[in-house]
Amino acid sequence: MLEMVRQQMICIVVPGWDGTTDLSESGSVCTGLDALLKDVAVVQFASIALLPARADAKDPRPSLMLELAIEEGIAPYDIVYRLVYHPSGAMWSLYSSFWPGGGPPLQSARNDQLQGKLMEGLTIAEGGFIGARDRTARQIEKEQDLLQWTRDQARAMKAAKLYGDDRAAFALALAQRAFKNPRFDWALDPAPRSYWREKGASIGAKIGYVLALFVLWLAAVWLIGAVPRGLLGVYTWLFGAPYSGVQAVVDAVSKVSGWVLGVSIRSLFALLGLGVLAVFFLLALPAVSKSWRRWLKSVGRELDRPTETWSSWSTYWVGWIVGVPTVLAVVACALVFIFCPGTIVDAYHALTAKFLGWQIIAFIILAIVALICVFGVLSRIDQQLAAAGNWFFHPYEDDVPRAQQVDTSIDHCEGLVVRETAHMFSLTDIRSPNGWSAFWIRASLRIVTLFGRVFFTEGRLGDAPGIHFGHWHIIEKGRRYLFCSNYDGSFGGYLDDFINGATIGTTLAWRWTTLKRRGSAAIGQPAVEEPRSFPPTRFIVFRGVKCELKFKSYARDSMLPHVFRFDARKETVDGINLATSLRDALFGERNDSNDDQIMRAIES
Amino acid sequence: MKITPGMPDALPPGLRNLFYGIFCWANRHPGALRAVGVMLRRWPFVAGWLGMAARASAVKAVLTRPNSFSNTAHAANLSAGDYLIGMDPGATYTADKILLDDRLAVLKATLPAAADLAVQAYVKALQPLGADKSFDLIEDYLMWIVFRAMYPLFGPATDRVAAGATGSLNDPGLQRQYLLEIRYVAGQLLAGSSATLRVQRRAELNADALKSRIAGVRTDIQNAWSLPGHNIDRNAIGLAWISHPVTVQSGALAVQELLGRPNVHKALREEARRLGDPGVWQCAKFRASVRDHVLELMRFRPIFPLLARDVPRATEFETGARHNATCPAGGKMAIWGIAALFDPEAVENSRQFCPARNWGNQADLRWMMFGYGTRQCPAMVYAVEILTSALIGLLILPELQLARGEGKAITYDGPLMSQMRVSFI
Repeated sequence: MLEMVRQQMICIVVPGWDGTTDLSESGSVCTGLDALLKDVAVVQFASIALLPARADAKDPRPSLMLELAIEEGIAPYDIVYRLVYHPSGAMWSLYSSFWPGGGPPLQSARNDQLQGKLMEGLTIAEGGFIGARDRTARQIEKEQDLLQWTRDQARAMKAAKLYGDDRAAFALALAQRAFKNPRFDWALDPAPRSYWREKGASIGAKIGYVLALFVLWLAAVWLIGAVPRGLLGVYTWLFGAPYSGVQAVVDAVSKVSGWVLGVSIRSLFALLGLGVLAVFFLLALPAVSKSWRRWLKSVGRELDRPTETWSSWSTYWVGWIVGVPTVLAVVACALVFIFCPGTIVDAYHALTAKFLGWQIIAFIILAIVALICVFGVLSRIDQQLAAAGNWFFHPYEDDVPRAQQVDTSIDHCEGLVVRETAHMFSLTDIRSPNGWSAFWIRASLRIVTLFGRVFFTEGRLGDAPGIHFGHWHIIEKGRRYLFCSNYDGSFGGYLDDFINGATIGTTLAWRWTTLKRRGSAAIGQPAVEEPRSFPPTRFIVFRGVKCELKFKSYARDSMLPHVFRFDARKETVDGINLATSLRDALFGERNDSNDDQIMRAIES
Repeated sequence: MKITPGMPDALPPGLRNLFYGIFCWANRHPGALRAVGVMLRRWPFVAGWLGMAARASAVKAVLTRPNSFSNTAHAANLSAGDYLIGMDPGATYTADKILLDDRLAVLKATLPAAADLAVQAYVKALQPLGADKSFDLIEDYLMWIVFRAMYPLFGPATDRVAAGATGSLNDPGLQRQYLLEIRYVAGQLLAGSSATLRVQRRAELNADALKSRIAGVRTDIQNAWSLPGHNIDRNAIGLAWISHPVTVQSGALAVQELLGRPNVHKALREEARRLGDPGVWQCAKFRASVRDHVLELMRFRPIFPLLARDVPRATEFETGARHNATCPAGGKMAIWGIAALFDPEAVENSRQFCPARNWGNQADLRWMMFGYGTRQCPAMVYAVEILTSALIGLLILPELQLARGEGKAITYDGPLMSQMRVSFI
């Protein structure tokens, strides 16, 4: 499931660029590429950048990087094949300088070699998010045409004052006009939606899906044990006891199957128990207890506090001393329950042998009362400290040591797309040890991708809107980290959306990176003069991107300009969603909801 | 308007892979389909409940009612656009059918001689290979033989079609690219809507490429066919993707079946050895015998063991049970061609491999792997002729076996065979 998302976002990094090909905007290579991508019609965004070599790289020449954001379901090999073997030869024009002698004389041999080279340098995204999904570029274009047409019609109808304030009649008349227009025959079918946006959109369906998988798993494990047992039973009944070896193997298989079955069921109960605890402490208790709510909020605030203060310092260390051991203890209990339930049963028996029931209950009540008292005291101290003075919450370190300077090439690129979908490349280095950091980055990105695919299905990642295709790649054998994004609006606003809307995901995605010194890829491109680090985090997911200036300056310093850009969507995520909802409303059944949608579309 | 392709997957993750996996497995193991077919024939009312025709009489009856059981079921899988196989009878269908029959008629004059010549050339090229060297029966033999044998379909435009509008006519790699392109488009017809998104998208990409290719050489085709242009693209595209890949795949399946029957293979090789090299091409009796073998091999491994039909309006069909089965309007039904081909009521000793079987009044059933009735494949005779030549070529080569020691000898791409590595013994 995740691979389907990941392979929609591709980067092809080919090292050893000698800079002899003319990549100017009006040059034949770029115009040829533009024509190719338009003709192929399944690439939604594409861009090219030069990646500067690492300071310790053997080859100081930059790499040529091609980013492709393509439609769902297409395998990377297939799209590269389609582009490379296109009769226009545009891809060969782009990459021909990698064959200084001009390459093989036969076009097919050239294509074969180029395909091989590109596949060597191809990476699918380690993780990513797609905003307005389930739409082809052609569909977006058609729906925009429908939106424009509807607005024109609505304007004309309003001018003619045919319907007054009768909203339903107005919407009906618009729908009738659209139905009669053969240009919009394609819109008679509802806009296609993938499973997680249609049947699987509800929480019930998602839980049902997971449960169905779990039940299937249990059934499979049970069958693995039951089938040999059953066959052996039948055999024994028919012909007598088999060889002892056969009996031993069947017993072993049966035992393993039973053990896995037990572990699986207990794992489910453990997860449920942890879920109940999480709901109790994070949702139920804050709802009923004001002081708990305040305390929880205060902990979150302190951990996320961008600057270092005595309050955040003390919260952080109390977290280490109290929070981490508590969590570890709970996890250990869960693991004991899953793998050695006998230990818990024994402990319970030992406890009941030593104490009577009322004594145990009294002990639990006492413990709860003690906990409430401790939290009450802490809360009181917290309030007293807040009242006592600001010194406790005052930052004691400087935030950003210098004013941020943006390279002119980045400014220029941003200027080029100021009225279009914006775009950024960010190239950072992965923290040492690379393998360890890369592992955690991958794990984090898979989680982000999973949530994006299953839960954030309507164009927003968390609360961050306007992302068309945002994707992360680990390149150069785990040494570097590349982030490419196509988004609406400006860079500052975009990062603000991430900082405020998808804080944890963004921190997780970047926290294992650093920015090492590097030269520029070409004249006029940015270099990294001073090594930088991603802003420090607390407990992996807190703070990080909340250090807004540090994070923005870090992101700015890591950016690279594009040398080519292709945008097949040419519309904002909101605009795309609006046009799709208009299509469904206009050609769907007539009801208040659809009428509202039509009015919203024509008036926005 | 190209808007249907690119549909997202509306099934829960994993389910499509499961269905497609079962479908592909069943296609690769016709024995399993035959076993299910036995049950459906035995209890035709069950087949009726499931909307399936399995008995020979039922299959024939359904396939002779194209208005009630429509070919439009194929339309969704025609990634390169509409073509005869997915059309309902009508003016467009009639015009396109006439055009197709005219194009196929040119093969009457050239086959089997053209196929024999192509086979002889490839036999000569393969002969020097020793026992230790394997070759791909599909990519190194069948694909090119069928291409050469079907050369007259596009006449003088064939090389331009294969090379593309701007490609070099002397670049065999471009021809290979063309043949792969049409294979994937044809593959979608077999894989159907159960195919994974990846397979569907690949077919769509290649269909796009094929459409651009044909549009680029439209004038060449127009000149070769001496026809006005308005129907050229649709028919040229359809003819390109359906003629070649289906024949190649049928040939590969026939050889696979033959290699699984060493006695039959041995007997045929013995006869070929007795006749000698020029003799095998001249002896009409031997050719007829090999043709019978090809048909019998295809009976055991048909390329389309199951077919689907749309039911535009509510109707019934005769399953062979006491009562007819009802088909609700807007539904679909499945035709178990493979079950019909093994129906003991229609085919004597149906489970036996018997190329020289006397089919009696069921002679038409013998060609059922190509469909039946008015919508039967119009190129079936030519396809069998080409495969007969290809098989004769294999019989005069040193004895074949599936290659060992290089991983799997047969590689599948979904339900299709993409590679069949063989070596001489």
